[in-house]
Amino acid sequence: MSDPIEKNQQILLIDDDELILKVINRILSREGYDVKTATNGKDAMELIEMQKFDLLITDIMMPYSNGFEVISKFKQHPNAEGVPIIVISSVGTENAVREGLNIGADDYLRKPIMPDELLIRVRRFFK
Amino acid sequence: MPAIILADSLFGPFFRKYFYYYDSYPLVIQIAIFLTGVAIVTTVVAYSSILLRRGRGYLVDARTKKINQFLDNLITDHIIFNEDVMNGVALTDVQIDLAPFQKPIFRQTWVKQALIDRLIYFSSSFSGDRNVLFRRLFIELELEKLSFKKIKSISLSTKIVGLVELTSMGIAVADVIILPLTNSRNRKLRSEARIAYIKLSKNDPFKFFDDATEPLLLWDQLELFKIITTTEGLTIPNFARWITYSTNKSIVSFCLKLVIHYNQHEAIPAIVKLLDTKDHYLRVDAINCLGKLKAEEVEEKLILIYNNQPLRCQIEILKALGRFSTGNQINFLRNEFLRSTDFDIKKNAARSLIKHGRQTKEVVQMLIDTATPESAIILKHCMNPLIKY
Repeated sequence: MSDPIEKNQQILLIDDDELILKVINRILSREGYDVKTATNGKDAMELIEMQKFDLLITDIMMPYSNGFEVISKFKQHPNAEGVPIIVISSVGTENAVREGLNIGADDYLRKPIMPDELLIRVRRFFK
Repeated sequence: MPAIILADSLFGPFFRKYFYYYDSYPLVIQIAIFLTGVAIVTTVVAYSSILLRRGRGYLVDARTKKINQFLDNLITDHIIFNEDVMNGVALTDVQIDLAPFQKPIFRQTWVKQALIDRLIYFSSSFSGDRNVLFRRLFIELELEKLSFKKIKSISLSTKIVGLVELTSMGIAVADVIILPLTNSRNRKLRSEARIAYIKLSKNDPFKFFDDATEPLLLWDQLELFKIITTTEGLTIPNFARWITYSTNKSIVSFCLKLVIHYNQHEAIPAIVKLLDTKDHYLRVDAINCLGKLKAEEVEEKLILIYNNQPLRCQIEILKALGRFSTGNQINFLRNEFLRSTDFDIKKNAARSLIKHGRQTKEVVQMLIDTATPESAIILKHCMNPLIKY
């Protein structure tokens, strides 16, 4: 368990893979983060409208609107100011990474995910 | 008896009305009535079977969903949140509690199969230490025995499932089992076996190239290429070995692509020998490979053979000259551009000239000034840096 100061940070986790969603949710919740989940871009945007998050973790390939669309919409939202974004995606091509970082992502993780690595990267944003 | 009475009271008047005089109807009407009856019965049977299958499918889905949730929690608790891993214990000393996975429910084959599927899914979703533990769990529960059993099955689709399971979990399969499958006449099995061999073979992952008699289809090449270039720790051999000795043209063609990817300049002598092959598709691949490797030493040879080649090879030679950009063949390219009446030749000659950069700046300008309107359009088209070939 990490520093208690970090607790109650709000994280929005978006992925259409329910297994990944469930496992990452458990990993982050176990660390004391308050995690909300969405399985597609549409639901994610609804959550963003309702509350402010401290970190956004999103997949790229998703139904309705993909991760890039979610990021660009999120970036324009008043609730998004200064909120870091981590992309987790099985699309690991140079172009996808470049596009993700260009569009405003702060970090890019390739699937399959290393849970410990994700945790370290999340903690880094809250230091 | 009551059923017959009920049926007679319900349908009796109908049957009596229409079938009492059945024998006296004309033959055509009798056939029509018979066929209508057959059609009605067939439709009812077909719809019932669809309904039954859907019902059964729904039940299986519901059962699988329920067990998957149970298995996901079990795997997450014991592998993802394994206490030893969380406490930083060295991977070799990490203990997996097998007891929850050995409960009576796991004696059922379908539950074991669901566990295999979930482990594969977890394995493809998470990497690092957890991935090693998924594999360890798979082995310690002796689930690989089920997969090996599948490989020995007569059914080809079952064999494929077994192969995919073992490949996904990184379980080594003996050459005697897997090598014959790499030459199976069944395309899917052959493809999976080849992928499995490359992924699992420790010493010589490309050994099956030696005896491959069945063709390596383009789609299979794509899949294999992805596996070869993304599998970590793979020993990459000198592909000239198969370019020289393989009698399987698709293997030679695939090796040429791998030579380009791994930039194997030591394979150039073997590729040059391919320029004499009778198969012009293979010659195209060889010239393409030489061009991409920038094997300038073969430039003269390519010019020598140019006039005796079919169109595809000529185009590839022109492209290769552009890739070399030595400046020695500027006149040749200019002449081809001016002389040829074929659009593709003109276009590739122009493109290769322009690729020379500064060396051909004046030549290209002179061609633009003196060319026919059609040739000028081709030149300007080739000069557009946004248009890729």
